[in-house]
Formats: sequence, C-alpha cells, structure tokens
Amino acid sequence: MKRLDLRLLRLIKNSKGQFIAITILVIVGLTIYTALSTAIVNLEDTLNYYYDEKNFAHIFVQSTKIPESALNKVKKINGVKEVEGRVVFDIKMESDNSDEKVKARIVSISDNSSINKLHIVDGNEIETKNKDAIVIEQFANARNIKINDTIKPYIEGRIFDLRVSGISASPEYVYLMEDEQSLLPMPDKFGIIFVSEEFARQNFGFKDSFNEILITVKDKEHMDRIKDQVENELDQYGIKRIYDRDDQLSNRMVTEEIIGVKQMSSTIPVIFLGVAAVIIAAMLSRMVRNDRMSIGVLKALGYSNMSILIHYTKFSILIGLIGSIFGVILGTILSSSMAKLYAQFFNIPMLKFKLYYGYMFTAISLSITFCTIAGIWGARRVLKILPAESMRPEPPKQGGRVFLDKATIIWKRLSFSWKMVLRNIFRNKKRFLFISSGIAMTFAITLMPSVLNDASKDMFDSHYSEFQKMEYNINFNVPLSINTVNEIKHIIDVERIEPKIEFPFEIVYGNSKMATNIIGLSSNTEFYGFKNMNGQSIDLPSEGIVLSEGLARFIGVQKGDKIKIKTFIPNKDDVYVEVKDIIKQSLGTNGYMNIETMSNELLNKNLITGVYIDSSDDVKGKLENVKNISSIQSLQDMRAVFEEFMGLMMASISMMILFAGILGFAIVYNSTVMNIAERRLEFSSLRVMGFSKHQIFKIITKENAVMTVFGIILGIPLGQFMMSSLEKTFSIELYTIDMSPTLSSYIITAVITIVFVVIAQLATYKKINKLDFIEALKNRIS
Amino acid sequence: MDNDVLMKVGNLSKKYRMGEITVNALQEVSFEIKEGEFVVILGPSGSGKSTLLNILGGMDKPSTGEVLLRDEKITDYSDKELTNYRRDKVGFVFQFYNLMANLTSKENVELATEICEGPMDIDEILVDVGLGERKEHFPSQMSGGEQQRVAIARAVAKNPLLLLCDEPTGALDFQTGISILSLLNKINKQYNKTIIIITHNSPIANMGDRIIKMRSGKIIENSVNPNPIEPERIVW
Repeated sequence: MKRLDLRLLRLIKNSKGQFIAITILVIVGLTIYTALSTAIVNLEDTLNYYYDEKNFAHIFVQSTKIPESALNKVKKINGVKEVEGRVVFDIKMESDNSDEKVKARIVSISDNSSINKLHIVDGNEIETKNKDAIVIEQFANARNIKINDTIKPYIEGRIFDLRVSGISASPEYVYLMEDEQSLLPMPDKFGIIFVSEEFARQNFGFKDSFNEILITVKDKEHMDRIKDQVENELDQYGIKRIYDRDDQLSNRMVTEEIIGVKQMSSTIPVIFLGVAAVIIAAMLSRMVRNDRMSIGVLKALGYSNMSILIHYTKFSILIGLIGSIFGVILGTILSSSMAKLYAQFFNIPMLKFKLYYGYMFTAISLSITFCTIAGIWGARRVLKILPAESMRPEPPKQGGRVFLDKATIIWKRLSFSWKMVLRNIFRNKKRFLFISSGIAMTFAITLMPSVLNDASKDMFDSHYSEFQKMEYNINFNVPLSINTVNEIKHIIDVERIEPKIEFPFEIVYGNSKMATNIIGLSSNTEFYGFKNMNGQSIDLPSEGIVLSEGLARFIGVQKGDKIKIKTFIPNKDDVYVEVKDIIKQSLGTNGYMNIETMSNELLNKNLITGVYIDSSDDVKGKLENVKNISSIQSLQDMRAVFEEFMGLMMASISMMILFAGILGFAIVYNSTVMNIAERRLEFSSLRVMGFSKHQIFKIITKENAVMTVFGIILGIPLGQFMMSSLEKTFSIELYTIDMSPTLSSYIITAVITIVFVVIAQLATYKKINKLDFIEALKNRIS
Repeated sequence: MDNDVLMKVGNLSKKYRMGEITVNALQEVSFEIKEGEFVVILGPSGSGKSTLLNILGGMDKPSTGEVLLRDEKITDYSDKELTNYRRDKVGFVFQFYNLMANLTSKENVELATEICEGPMDIDEILVDVGLGERKEHFPSQMSGGEQQRVAIARAVAKNPLLLLCDEPTGALDFQTGISILSLLNKINKQYNKTIIIITHNSPIANMGDRIIKMRSGKIIENSVNPNPIEPERIVW
C-alpha cells in the first residue's frame, strides 16, 4: 500500500468516531433511497401487471339506469375495446352489534365478465346464482368472514342471507375506501360484495339494464375523445359521473402514494447526503488547516498539489464508497420486504419483484459524487499552502476586544470564564457559525415531525369543529323533497336541522377539470364556517360558487374567474358560474353554492339529497332503518377514523424523529470533536495553568450552550422555510395541511435539540479526558 | 561551467510585500557550490538564509536572478517542474523534523522514496543513521534526535543531488546536535552528497568546506575552509 494511503487509513482510525458518524448518514440516506425506489418501482410494475392481468377498466360510467341495448352503441365508438354493464349499490349490512354501522357495496358480476376480473384467493366462483356471494378480501379479513359463512345485506328494505362462496381481491379495490371523503380505508366498516348479475338485477329492479358501465380502450391516447363520445351517446340516460382510471379512487390513492414515496425517496437521501457533504467539507477543511505543516513537508518531498488533494479527498470518497455499498446492500435487503408490505397494504395479491441495478448504480454514483465534491471543496486549501511558508509556525490569531467589551455595563458583570467563552465565540465566527447552523439544521428537521403532528390534529379540529360544525351528516339514497326535513323533525328531536344538496359534477376551467361534489347549503348556514384565504369569515354568496383551496389549486382557478360546471343529469345544460371566493378546507375538495341557486340552476326540482343535524337524540338508532336514508355520519365516527389515521401518522413521525436524531447527532458530535481537536494547544495551555479537566469541560459546555441557543434561534426561520416547502409537497388535492408551527412545537423541538447536543457533548467528554496536555504542548508534529 | 560545479547562484533577489512595506529578503546574492561540498550558510535570524535555502530547494521562487543546478536553470521551472525537482533532486531536513505522526520511521522514509526515481536501500540507510532497531517506531515513541535521524534518512534515501538542512540542530540539545552533525558529515563523505546547512550557530561553520556568511539579505563573506574540523570537536 502507498504510504500516503497508509497515513490516510491511520488518520481515519484516529477519527473513527467522526468517520463512522458521517458514514452512517450516507448509509441511512442510501438505504432509504435504494429500499424505497426499488420497492416502489416494483409496486408500480406489480400494479400494472395486476391491472393488465385482470383487465382493469379504463373508463367508468355511473348512471341512474342504462338499458343493455345502449352498450352496443358504446361498443361501436372508435377505439373502444370492450364494454360491460353492471349493477352497483351501496347498502347496509346487518351486524351482530347493533351500535356498529357496517356498509357494503354490492357489485354485480356476470359469468363472462372480462373486465375487472376478480382474483379469488379462497373458495370458488359463485355457484348458486341467487344464494352465493364473493366477499372482498380486506373486508373478509377485517370481519373474520370465512367461506360458507352467511352475510346479511339489506337490499331494498329486506335482509338477504347470502352464502360466502369465495373471497377475492379486485384490481378495482386495491385501496378499499368508500368515497373521496373518507380519510383512510376502514375494511371492517366498508366492504365489497360481488353477487351474480341475475341476483342484482332482480333485487334492485334492473331488468335488462345497468347503472354502471365499464369500458376498456384500444389506445389510451384517445381516452378523452372516447370519454366525450361515450358521454354523448349515453347522455339521454342520465350519467352521474364518467371518469377514467386516473380518477378511479383506488387507483388514484395508490398512484398518489407511489408519487409520495417517490418524492420521499428522492428528497430524504438528498437531505442526508447534503448534511454528510457539509460535515465532510467542514471536517476536511479543518483537517487541512491542522495539517498545514505536514502538507508543506509533502510538497517539499515532491508530492504534487494534485496528489495531496486526492489524498485528502480519498477520505470522503471512502465515506461515499463504504456508505453507499452498505446502504445499497441494506436497502436491497429491505426493498423486497418493503415491496411485500406495500403489496399487502394495498391488497395486491401478487408481487413481481426484481432488482433494479440502475438504482444501485445511481445510489453509489450519487453518494460518491456528493462526497467527492464535498471532499475537494473541503480540502481545496491544500492548493494554497506554500511549502516554504508552511514550515514557519502560523502567526498568532488576532486577539482583541470583541464588540461586547464595549458594552462595559454588561461586560463588567461577566465572570472571567464567560468573558473567555464570549471572546472565543466572537473571534472564531466561522466555527461558531458552522456549529450553530448544524444545530439550526437539527432544530429545523426535528421541527417537521412535531409540526406535522400538530398540523394533523389541527386539520381535524379545524375541519370538524370550525369548518363543519354539524353533529350528524345524513345522506339519502335518492333525492327527496324538501319536506323531508319536516318528516325528520317528527322522528327525532333536533336542535338544528338544515337541508343540503350534495351532488357530483365536473368542474372545468381551461384545460383542467376535476370531478367533485358540489354542496348546496342554506344561505345562512350554521353548520359551516367558511373562511377565505386571509382567514376572514365569509358568508355563502347567494349567486356563484365558492371553491375549496385544494380544488382551486388543482384546476388553477382564481377568485373572480368563471368556471364551467359540467352536469351529467339528462337534459340539463352545462352551467357557467363565477368563483366568488376560495375558502380554506383542510380535508377533501368541494364547491359550495346557495341551495336555492343550486337547485334552480343545476338540478330539476326542489329536491335535497340529505340533511345536517345537531341533536342529542338517538339519531342513529331512530333513523337507521328509515327508508331512503343511506348513511348517518356522526362526529364520533369521524373522530374514530381520524384516530386510526393518526396512529399511522405517528409511525412515520417517529421514523422522522429518528432520522432527525441521527442527523442532529452527527452534526453536533462532529462539530464538537473538530472543535476540541483544533484547540488542543489552547486547552493544554489552560491545563498547564492549573485549569482542571472539569473546568475546561465547563468552558466548552458554556460555548456550546451559547451556540445552541443561537442555533435554535437560527433554526426557527430555517424550519419555517422547510415547513412551507413541505406544505406544498404534502398538500395534494385531497387534503391541505396548514403547517404553521405552534409555540409548543417550538418548545418541544428546542428540548429535543438540546438533548441531542447534550448527548453529543457527553461523547466528547472522553476526548477531553484523554487530552495529554504535555504531549500537545511539547510536540509540534502533526 | 566547471565540471565540478553543482550549483550556481547568480544575482538572486527576493522581495516580499508585506502590506505597504517591501522587505528585501535577498539582495543580489551570487555564489557557486561544488560537487560534494559541505556548505554552511551562517547568519542571524532574518538574514535571508532560510529564504535562500527555500529557493535553492525549489520551494520558493526568487524575484530576480537565477539558480542553475548543473546545466538546469531551476529558476525558470514551472510549478510542475519544481515539484519534480523537489521529488528527485533535493532532500530536505527541517529544524522540527516534520515527520508524519501516524507513520513509523520506516514508513516515513518510504513516503519519500515511493515517488522518486532510483532511491537507495531504506533498511541500509536506517542502519546507517543508527535506527536499525527502531524502524517500526512511531515519531511519538522517539526522542528528538532520533526523529531528526529519521528525517535525515528520509532526505538521503531519495538519493538526491543536494541535501538542504534548515537549522537541523536547532531543536536539539548539544550532545544530540553534535551526533546529528557527525551523521551529516558521514553522509557527506560516505555517499559523497553535497550538503547545505543553514544555521545561526557560528561554531558549526567550522566543519564546512565552504562557509557563506549572510546578513540582511546579502552575502558578507564566502570562503573556503582549508581545514574543516570534525563535528565532535565543535563546542558551543
């Protein structure tokens, strides 16, 4: 081995704590990168394979009733490959526990179904057409439903006993969620039951007709044209909604998750590598400064600038290499179990897993590039060292009064050691800034999960108590007359009741469009608290529409613009309305209109689709079995869902805190060790003068305390900046997170940061203990 | 040029600019050194002797003037050529030894020989400088004198044309200093190496074949010593 390399290895051995700390950062970053990238690309492959295998539909049409004969017209549209009709209804399930509300979606399948084919994991196909059913796997698992069990759906006011002939997965319900308003899947509360076409038609009254159509196309390029043509063709039958795969709920959730993970897999490693790079650069620049004389000697011996620069850069390349190799290996090992986990979470019954060498290559080259650049940057001072000058001892640092000296009133009151501490800090501004910014970074990173935690709690509070204030949200099966409000008042005691219309439309602005529910509310509604983007309360305007911020952002519309509301109701024309305002809404996307204006302009008659109620009566018990009521949601239900959601959230939050901890420790530990190494001579002089180890440690502690406080102050704006960029990443059209940190999250974060500093500080105590001051003073060898 | 002239220095000047003041570290210095000579450059601190040594060793460049090594004009060298010059032609010994702390004595020598052409046998040199038994020791395990021996071995092992020693005894006690000087003397005789020592310690000058006295950047005396004395007889 080259002697210079040997020197490097021994150098590394001497600073192994730092070397390991930085390498761990690289390992963690690249493990995350490799594991997530590989897992997610495999998930994507698997999903696409699953879709192909099961012939997942491209276009979905929901309608009130479409005759079977209309299917042929659709089939003739240029580019359409296959067309199938089915009957789909959301129904209630009879449950042993009367307090429990379980719902299911009945979906009909025909014998020769070729679109959205099921993947039976247990049992068989439907054998007896009016007795058998197939239950979706997630629901069966959550409710412990077995083959040959009996399930009891309410259909048109009647309880049926169906035998479970099979348990199946479906490409359509990879992510099993009831609708867009649900926060997360509740497989024990909502499931899918597949029944024979004959059974569904007979019991829902759909002889020779369907209420949903599935279409596959030959070429996805022509999707929009085909959609338009299908819509024209079927308009007369009353289309509720027509959407393609991109808007299909399950697919959209999975796709969004994939996008989210992809984003994470590219940002987290960059943060880790970036921090590692900053530490490397700082460390090497200090190393080069301390090695000034050795570098002079090397140059005197005839080593070229380049070979010395490479010598120091190898330090960081080695970190990059070791880190990336371990990271890639760990990441690869993790990736297959992560892919399995994802496939399970999304209920994809198959997994096509293969290794993508491209990601490994990217990981290694990314890490080496980062480390090499950081190394060269840190060691670049090598070039400036002149051999002749480096032999002479460095001139003493300029000592003088710091500006605090001038503030005599304060200065006089300070103890001697505080004076020394402050002078030290002000004279070494660079070092001070480095450590402080390290602490600031730790603070900012730790702030994220803490704020995210607060934010999601706030999201719940603001959505369910400030935005939506109703205790119960009741939906009807079919639009009913406005008089229903009075009928309900007869059944239960209500403190307040308001009618509502909630209906799906497509909102179009320029080239963007989005299918969403528009909600019609009484003009003086007590159940909604609308706030505009400036946080001012506003009333629902009598004309025009207000949009939730997520929706406005998604279609790129501003206050005052005119949007088109595309209706699927037969014989109704599309309507243009003005966006009167954009309102804050953290969960879901909606448009809101005055209920009268809405029914006049968009609907046929004086019909409502549900009511909002405040009541202390037994609303669920009394209304549950009332005909035409399809769902009763209470605040309690929402809270339960949200708590489950929070549980999932906490898991990822703890992960992030762990990451922040690793980063924080690496930053603070490295900077403190460098600090001590650099000041060996100074501390040795103090020891000779009679300072005890303890006193020196106290000086360092005081310095660190000042830097920590400063770092935390610096971390606040940095954290806020990171928050606002995170806010943009996290806010998708389904929900908007408002991430303004509260005082308490600042305090918690500050405490955590201080803990990191203290731990790192303790690790350096050993170094001071070991300091051989006589040796340090006597020897000028480096 | 005479065949036995190794180095020729002509009108060498070096000016440093320190803020608003210009320091004339060397002023029009000229002299010649013959092959195999033991040269002592004597002068108080600030006389310009270190600057001169640095220029001779290719570590610094003069403001004007030239230095010729045999027929090569090293003052015209580019940085790269200077690096090669330091690598193959000269060996340095410093006042504070300047060994690499985390390399053993043998490895310190190898650090130098690894990159130069035609180095000498390292083990042999280490025995010659009296460190045959201490090859595997690290600098921190050795005394100052031993460290300086390693430094001399490091400089000699490269088999350079010229050995440049900057106050080689400056950090050592008398006895050890003498032993280092006699080692240098031995190397001068045994390997026929040209050696230039700079020192402010005038008794040392008596062992040189040529004595160059400097003051304020100028040579005030350049004489050949007809009777160099043995280092062991030097007293200070």
